[in-house]
Amino acid sequence: MSRNALSRTTITATALVLSLGLAACGGGDGDQVGADAKQTLTIWGMGEEAKRLEEVAKDFTEKHPNITVKVTPVGWDVVGQKMTSAAAAGTLPDMAQMGSTMMGEFIALDALEPVDEKVFDKADFFPATWDNNVVDGVSYGVPWYADVRALYYRTDIAEKAGKGKEPATWDEHHALAEAYKKNGATWGTELQPGSTGAWQTWLPFLYSEGGELIGEDGKPALDSPEAVRAFERFGSYFEDGLAKKNFVVGRDVAKDFGAGKVPMFMSGPWMVQNLDEQQPQIKGKWKVAPLPAGSKGSVSWVGGSSLVTFKDSAHKAAAEKFTQFLTTPKMQAHWYEISKSLPANKAAWNEPEMQNSETLPVFEKSLDTAKDVPPLEKWTEFAVQIEGAMEKVARGADPAATAKKLQKATEGLVDQ
Amino acid sequence: MTSAVTEAETEDRAARPAKAPAGVTAGQPGGAGRRPDRLSRQNLAGWLYSTPFLAFFLTFMAFPIVATLLMSFTDFGLRHVTHPLDAEWVGLDNYAALLQDDKFLTALFNTGYFVVLGVPLTIGCGLVAAVLLNSGIDRLRTFFRVGFYVPVVTAIVAVAVIWRFVLDPSEGLIAGLGAQLGFSTPDFLASETLAMPSLIVMAVWRNMGTAMVLFLAGLQAIPAEVREAARIDGAGPLQEFRRITVPLLRPTMLYVSVMTTIGFLNVFEEPFVMTDGGPDDSTLTVSLHMYEEGFRFFHMGSASAMAYVLFTVVLAVTLLQLRLLKDKTR
Repeated sequence: MSRNALSRTTITATALVLSLGLAACGGGDGDQVGADAKQTLTIWGMGEEAKRLEEVAKDFTEKHPNITVKVTPVGWDVVGQKMTSAAAAGTLPDMAQMGSTMMGEFIALDALEPVDEKVFDKADFFPATWDNNVVDGVSYGVPWYADVRALYYRTDIAEKAGKGKEPATWDEHHALAEAYKKNGATWGTELQPGSTGAWQTWLPFLYSEGGELIGEDGKPALDSPEAVRAFERFGSYFEDGLAKKNFVVGRDVAKDFGAGKVPMFMSGPWMVQNLDEQQPQIKGKWKVAPLPAGSKGSVSWVGGSSLVTFKDSAHKAAAEKFTQFLTTPKMQAHWYEISKSLPANKAAWNEPEMQNSETLPVFEKSLDTAKDVPPLEKWTEFAVQIEGAMEKVARGADPAATAKKLQKATEGLVDQ
Repeated sequence: MTSAVTEAETEDRAARPAKAPAGVTAGQPGGAGRRPDRLSRQNLAGWLYSTPFLAFFLTFMAFPIVATLLMSFTDFGLRHVTHPLDAEWVGLDNYAALLQDDKFLTALFNTGYFVVLGVPLTIGCGLVAAVLLNSGIDRLRTFFRVGFYVPVVTAIVAVAVIWRFVLDPSEGLIAGLGAQLGFSTPDFLASETLAMPSLIVMAVWRNMGTAMVLFLAGLQAIPAEVREAARIDGAGPLQEFRRITVPLLRPTMLYVSVMTTIGFLNVFEEPFVMTDGGPDDSTLTVSLHMYEEGFRFFHMGSASAMAYVLFTVVLAVTLLQLRLLKDKTR
């Protein structure tokens, strides 16, 4: 509290305005460095991935001694702001790892170099990972790794409750949650009712009913019958007391899962390793299943990261080489081995590293049917609106009326 | 708050050498009616000394303040980040829109709630702690002084970890105590009615140390003779507190309340680390809302307008306090 908020805003304002002058001094686009020339390629990586990327980059330099790769780690929590400021200041690196939900913003900022589709073949990648980077038929990023959500549930408690079968539909999922609750669990399932990132919880409900975030007319489709159905289904868990209405920042799902308090949740592939490491006592007592199916089947959504090259880079040829290197099936499988991130390149799934796992086939199946989150310039705002509506529904608001309001609030956020 | 103090001091120091030589030149013969040359040789040293501060102040304070003001009249958004000059002038639209924005009004109300409850509590607790430390407790005085001041200098992330543990509904300190004594405790941070009071308690705990230290200094400046005289006149401890301590502490009180109020009006960290403004916007404050608008959505125009609304509120409240708490003993 000691620092005043006014000065916080003003400092960034200065940064933005000062960068005006700096941006003007930035070099032009004319002088590209060839792929064979000696050069340093700069790339921003996020969080843990940056460290592992550095190791992989060494292998790359061994093959291409003239190209040195410099990896700069940036935290996931600050990357949006840092990249936007860098775009303003004209100090972007040559390349970056770009989270799927950030793509829309940077495409709108006109900061990304289109992907050469002669070099990278759309058919090599899972459709949702590729579509996530396409605006008006032009692709701006090459899928690097994919995150897809699946259902984690405790088999031991399920059996005790007489529910040995994997929950295949939302109705079965709901019934299992009820059974969990009757058998001593505090909550039947974890469902994030609101706050940052809650949209991830709601999207499977929408997609499995055949709903879309953006309709074919280019407008939000959040008051469609499918969306209303998704809100109803989402809300029913709270109404029946199966999920906690109140979300607390920084809560650890794995802990409650391990203790049997919340024996079911939806999450990404990284959770497999987290549970193995942090909750060893429940080894063999839980399983990963594809997300429950709605009337249009089990449809998860794809997150993850793509590799992008910035327009202002003078090392586009080298950047393309490095991107190629990172997205070969072999490298993708190796990347899975060291980071547990799922390969976006389909062929990688046949590599030896990807066999002998119980959980991987579940994720592979989910990736095939998963849909992308469309790249929207104002995605953050769009998501906050959805999260607000979810919070209201979780607290008992009428789903249809809430969906209508949500539709109205988001209409202005999408360019037609 | 501390930064404001040092700033004021630096400004003071910077101003002094510039003034002193001016007096000398004015006294020189033939100088009658002539204004002293501000850039004369004697003044040069003063300007030189103050240059580092001035350069810093102009670049990082004055310029952004003006830039924010200008931005608040434009529609500066994400797309203008790379092309700032394309932002369009929209006059007072941003301000008008704020008045229609339910979220902003909620934030304004929450901030008011936080200040109205938090400031008197912080000042009260600080004063009580200071008085006790000043007279009641002889042993362990340093221990208590440090104990009360530690929260002020502890990083907010560490504080958040501790308070999350205290307030945790399943294995928290309060929940544990409640279970021992046989009553159930609510989920503080997840309840719309209890989240804000929880944050207020945390903020009071975090900020009373500053108030306490300032009050201690103020208490020690009260002459012993005055207290002695009061006691000879037959004043009890309560009377002494009401008639001697409080009035003589007035200047300190003014400073503490102005600084605490400014700090509380700008409240950001507590909801940011503890609740993210939730549940259902019940702990969304103006600063947090401004941060989200500005740095998550890049609505710089609207965020700047909010900054100026908040600035106006801070200014008005401060002026009011200066008037109400004027030192009447002189």
